[in-house]
Amino acid sequence: MMKLGTKLTLFNLLSKTVFAALFILLLPFIIERINILQTDNELIRKREDVLSIIAEIGIEPFITPESEKEFGSYNILKEEFISLEKTELTEDWNFIEVTQRKIEDETIDYRVLNYSFQYEGVTYLLEIGKSLASISNTHKNIRKVILVFLLVFITVTLLSDIFYTDRILRPLKRVIRKLETTSTPALFDTAPVITTTSDFVQLDTTIRDLMTKTGELFEKEKEITVNISHELMTPISVMQSKLENLLLQKGIDIVVSGQIEESLRTLHRLKTLVNSLLFIARIESRQYLKEDTFSVKELVKEVSDELAPIAADADIAFDEDLKEDFLFRGANRTLIFSMLFNVLNNAIKNSSEHQHIEIKTVTAGGRFSVIITDNGRGMTPKELDQLFERFRKKLNPNQDSTGIGLAITKSIADFHDTVISVVSKPGEGTRFTFLFP
Amino acid sequence: MNVLIVEDEKALAREIAAFLKNENFLCDLAFTGAEASEKIAVNLYDFVLLDLGLPDYNGLDLITEARKNKIDVSFIIITARGAVEDKVKGLNLGADDYLAKPFALVELLSRILAVARLKFRITDPDIPLGDFVLETQARRLSYRGQEVDLTKKEFDLLHYLVINHGKVLTRQQLYEHIWGNILDDQYESNFIDVHIKNVRKKMNIHAPAPWLETVRGIGYRVSTHQD
Repeated sequence: MMKLGTKLTLFNLLSKTVFAALFILLLPFIIERINILQTDNELIRKREDVLSIIAEIGIEPFITPESEKEFGSYNILKEEFISLEKTELTEDWNFIEVTQRKIEDETIDYRVLNYSFQYEGVTYLLEIGKSLASISNTHKNIRKVILVFLLVFITVTLLSDIFYTDRILRPLKRVIRKLETTSTPALFDTAPVITTTSDFVQLDTTIRDLMTKTGELFEKEKEITVNISHELMTPISVMQSKLENLLLQKGIDIVVSGQIEESLRTLHRLKTLVNSLLFIARIESRQYLKEDTFSVKELVKEVSDELAPIAADADIAFDEDLKEDFLFRGANRTLIFSMLFNVLNNAIKNSSEHQHIEIKTVTAGGRFSVIITDNGRGMTPKELDQLFERFRKKLNPNQDSTGIGLAITKSIADFHDTVISVVSKPGEGTRFTFLFP
Repeated sequence: MNVLIVEDEKALAREIAAFLKNENFLCDLAFTGAEASEKIAVNLYDFVLLDLGLPDYNGLDLITEARKNKIDVSFIIITARGAVEDKVKGLNLGADDYLAKPFALVELLSRILAVARLKFRITDPDIPLGDFVLETQARRLSYRGQEVDLTKKEFDLLHYLVINHGKVLTRQQLYEHIWGNILDDQYESNFIDVHIKNVRKKMNIHAPAPWLETVRGIGYRVSTHQD
């Protein structure tokens, strides 16, 4: 996985490098080609110059029609030469070739223009040459210049690419950041992202529309949950009152009263379910206030004290290690109490006699955590997966819960930006870690 | 004491009335807001049990009305809409207490009595339980002047049973009273049994407490004095 910006930069770098490598590989051929072309042009230009001089002053200064002498001239470094001689050629020569010439015991490679022409009835052969050594010299210089230029070009364009890519991708980053910081559609920042890129405008608009729609659906679902719950509360209320009044009647048969109590218990279960649904709907629509400031350590202590008699009764010991503390601001104390209570109570239910439950407060990397570890039953990966789901299948057929307690715990944690992580192994135990914000 | 029960669910209104009559309250019923408004204006009540979800009235308006007309009556809100803002609004308007439906009738009674104690400035009397005394003001239990070391929850549990003496309270009723604010799904919790066991253990150090009875299959009962 890689960020788009990084990908683009890498691609840019790669394509430029490939281009530059190809260019460097081909450079000698290109330069040679250019050099030869240029040399040939130069040779042709010189031929024209020589021809125009001959036209102007005649050929005599170089060769008299009678003389057998030929004319030859080269510069001191033997980089160039011009020669003119009479010839018996019957065909016209006009070509450029590479040949070796021996000048003063030195054999040198030349690029030579051979040109035959007639002057006053006599055929002459003009040869103009340029040494290959002098050609390859310029060749090296050009290569150096081109390489430096290429390096500067790649660096400058790469930097400008990075800068521009970053600029152009900024709206996309903003959209991503908005999505990352949105825990629920209702809290999504619906202000449009300002950009001149139409694709981003489309993306942003689509996401905002989706968020609004999802948010509305969420709201509707919550509203329905809340309304149904309220509607259910009244009949439950009537039944509960009726049963309670029945139970209070004087002289009621013990068997009948037992049955009434059982009905009340069932009703209580129904009520708990409805209340839990109502609670989750409310917490998800953020109807609870977060105005308390409190010490989490003290709260943990309170929870553990509250459950200590239950643990003691089951012969389970608490090992408390509450050194670290955290002052939680802008939170709901009652809710956090419930969150910790549910998990510790769960730990008791999943432990057996003589086992220990460790309750620890820890500060690591500047973050405060509460860790509750039991050596109880533990969970399989599959059970762990469904742990926070509402109305998941009971982990234990004898367990006396509606299976929504941990869903409540999760909602409270989410509401308080607290991260819960659970590690569990069947037969070894479970560890709950609450990482506070 | 006179109580007006304002509740559009007639069956529920009647059950509450039946229960309170048994506790020697005089009960009147109103099934609509208009009816309630008229009755509050005309009759003298000590308490109004007010359901907020009335078909013709916002229940909270009844409180505003009564306060405006300087009618000295205590309101206890009973509602299925247990939203936090309803509760805050109700209490701000001058309601004396707030109870979310469904509630246990004994819980309603204990709330009414608590409001009544404040209203009529009744100091809680110490309650003798055999050789034990439940000192309600000091919130402690003593045996011949010597304190029995109960935790807060244990005291609350015993106190609730004592207030409702003579009645069998189910485990759920007790659990809800003590741990009602905890969002939990322990509908068959053994919490109550454990706490009662501990209370008994602590009292047994001093003397047996036969007045704290287990009613098999149902719950617990304190039977004292007049019972």
